[in-house]
Amino acid sequence: MSSNTSLLDLIGIEHNKLNFFQELQKNIQELTELNLHSEDQRREIAAILDGITDVMMVLSENLEIISVNHVFEELFPGVNPIGRKCYSLFRHDKKPCSECPAFRALSTNSVCKETAIFRVDGKNMQFDMVASPLKNPDLTENRILIFKRDVTLEKEYQAKFYQAEKMATIGVLAAGVAHEINNPMAAVAGFAEGIQRRLARLDDSVPDDLAEDLNDYTNTILKECLRCQDIVKTLLSFSRPVAADFLPVDFNQVAKDTLRLLDHQFRKRKDIDLHAELSSSLSHIYGDEAQLKQVILNLMTNAIDAVGESGEIHVKTFSTATHVGLKVSDSGCGIPPENKDMLFEPFFTTKSVGRGIGIGLSTCYNIVREHNGEIVVDSEPNQGSCFTVLLPI
Amino acid sequence: MQITKFAIPEIIFGNGSIKYLASCAQRLGAKRVLLVSDAGLEESGWVKQILNILENAKMDCAYFNDVTSNPRDTQIHEGAKLYLEHKADVIIGLGGGSPIDTAKGIATIVSNGGQISDYEGANRISHPLPPMIFIPTTAGGGSDVSQYAIITDTKRQVKMSIISRSLVPNISIIDPDLLITKSRKLILSSAVDALTHAIESYVSRLASPFTESQALNAIKLITENLKPAADTKDPEALTNLSIASTAAGMSFSNAGLGIGHAVAHSLGGRYDVMHGMTLPILLPAVMRFNISSCKTKMAIIARTINGAHICSTDIKADQVCNTLQHMFEDLGIPMRLRDILPDNNHLEEICHLAVQDACAVPNPREADWSDLLNICNEAW
Repeated sequence: MSSNTSLLDLIGIEHNKLNFFQELQKNIQELTELNLHSEDQRREIAAILDGITDVMMVLSENLEIISVNHVFEELFPGVNPIGRKCYSLFRHDKKPCSECPAFRALSTNSVCKETAIFRVDGKNMQFDMVASPLKNPDLTENRILIFKRDVTLEKEYQAKFYQAEKMATIGVLAAGVAHEINNPMAAVAGFAEGIQRRLARLDDSVPDDLAEDLNDYTNTILKECLRCQDIVKTLLSFSRPVAADFLPVDFNQVAKDTLRLLDHQFRKRKDIDLHAELSSSLSHIYGDEAQLKQVILNLMTNAIDAVGESGEIHVKTFSTATHVGLKVSDSGCGIPPENKDMLFEPFFTTKSVGRGIGIGLSTCYNIVREHNGEIVVDSEPNQGSCFTVLLPI
Repeated sequence: MQITKFAIPEIIFGNGSIKYLASCAQRLGAKRVLLVSDAGLEESGWVKQILNILENAKMDCAYFNDVTSNPRDTQIHEGAKLYLEHKADVIIGLGGGSPIDTAKGIATIVSNGGQISDYEGANRISHPLPPMIFIPTTAGGGSDVSQYAIITDTKRQVKMSIISRSLVPNISIIDPDLLITKSRKLILSSAVDALTHAIESYVSRLASPFTESQALNAIKLITENLKPAADTKDPEALTNLSIASTAAGMSFSNAGLGIGHAVAHSLGGRYDVMHGMTLPILLPAVMRFNISSCKTKMAIIARTINGAHICSTDIKADQVCNTLQHMFEDLGIPMRLRDILPDNNHLEEICHLAVQDACAVPNPREADWSDLLNICNEAW
């Protein structure tokens, strides 16, 4: 090495004492480059994050919001979420929701999913939530990353699909039943009428009391036959295809017709008192009769299920300046608070297997919404529930 | 005229100037200092005094004293380890050439890594060194102002010349008071080392007006003050030797040396003899070898030593070697290699190594290994 040393090397014109200032400059240059690089990375990550259409939040262990993405701002315009509690924003509640997946994610150190309905800006919105724990040894505290995807529309479409399918099935069934029942009914009615005609001609040869009895019986047969035909007719109208046009509807009549369908149920369950209080003068509304019947039917079925063996059910129609309404209240078991948000969720049910599949209220909700109306629930556990349907005039 | 360069550190000179050590170190950002010195200076009390100065300034100080008269690569690496363990930020070298060269080596390793032999030769250091403050105590080596560090490679038994502008310290504090405790032998050997620096750099092919004036000043001051300084420790003479050694250091640091130092390094690497002892023996023979290439300069050296006499350049140039030899003999300095070396079996090998020493490069007359062997034999 040293044998290559030349005079020019010894003079070292191009070499000078390296000092810390140079080191500093070198460091500054390196840092500047690194900074540019990380800024590029930051922009790229920001672009990726901006591309996410779900609400994204980073929460502290006690569910305080640390950061959110831009989708959050679309959902809560003008709200500064930083430092606020997640549940106070989404539920207006003072304590964490019982089903919150964040805690589970932290305790199990795994990704946890949950679905919930939140009332945001006066609308019920359904969200799929995914909570991932952010455990980092560099952080003093654990954090949770939560994605909330708005699935309200998907669930609505899903419910509509099931409803349409159910209606189509019932339609086929009803048409078949109607056909099968109408024929024997026509025969029964025809023969009853035949007996009445014969009876008129045998006026003299039949004792008066027997003739009176026969008249009475056949009248009853005919009346019941007529009633059967009415039921079948109602059944047919109820099972009409969904996509009917909105027509002027007498809501009282709809309620009456629906209650008649339930006559049988109430006759069987003597310990349930039904109090119907149908207002005499209701304005007509625009609507789909079959769908509205479905709403009342579902609410009534739920009420019957809620009261169980014995109790009271009140059905009331009323009108206000802008709406006609129907109130179905029962003295049943009521709804626990933790279930309130899920009431209108498709397939949410507290009923045992075979008693329902949990699309009743979600269907009601969709139908009422299509009529630009609303459903209000008022319930306390063990104090009964009251569902109020309001439809605009 | 070729383009030259003149690089020197900040120099604080004067009796009592070591009191500025603490403030100088603090200005360089020192919080934890590594002090490099040796047992001789501990004995004389200067190490204690320096440690007190640093302690009073509330600076944390690690002390490294595993330094021999020809500092070894292994010692450098030990010192670098201590520096890193101590998380030191500034290196202070206190002593003659050995502690200061050790400090330079340590500084090189702590910021550049690797082995010290990686940096042998010129301009191999690529990262800045930690701030360095040197306090010379011998008035000789000139290492405190130079860009040279001479370290022994223990495996090859060679003294390596490491040359880099980065080896120039940030500050050199030259306090002639420190010379008071030196032995006569040490004063003599270091002054002869300085004189050799001055003469070799003066005739060097890299000499420039900036180095020549320093060299001549050093030659004059040393020849005038060597005897009183050595014999009576006359304070003024010691101060003048300090000035001379610093001037010689500035000169050789920029103009380079010659074959005298190249051979001395090889001898030192092989036999671990005191650097300053070999130089007065070699110098007359080296000068005789060089005369033909730098007659005028040799005459100027002669005039500087002997004063103005009217005689020819040739005669003066011839005289200078004898003058020096007589001066050294008067002072009782051994003047034969056989006086200080155990044997002459390895001279050929030593001369082969010496031609490769970077110090040989600017020698005024090209010399191959056999030329060097002739010089050694002449001096034997």
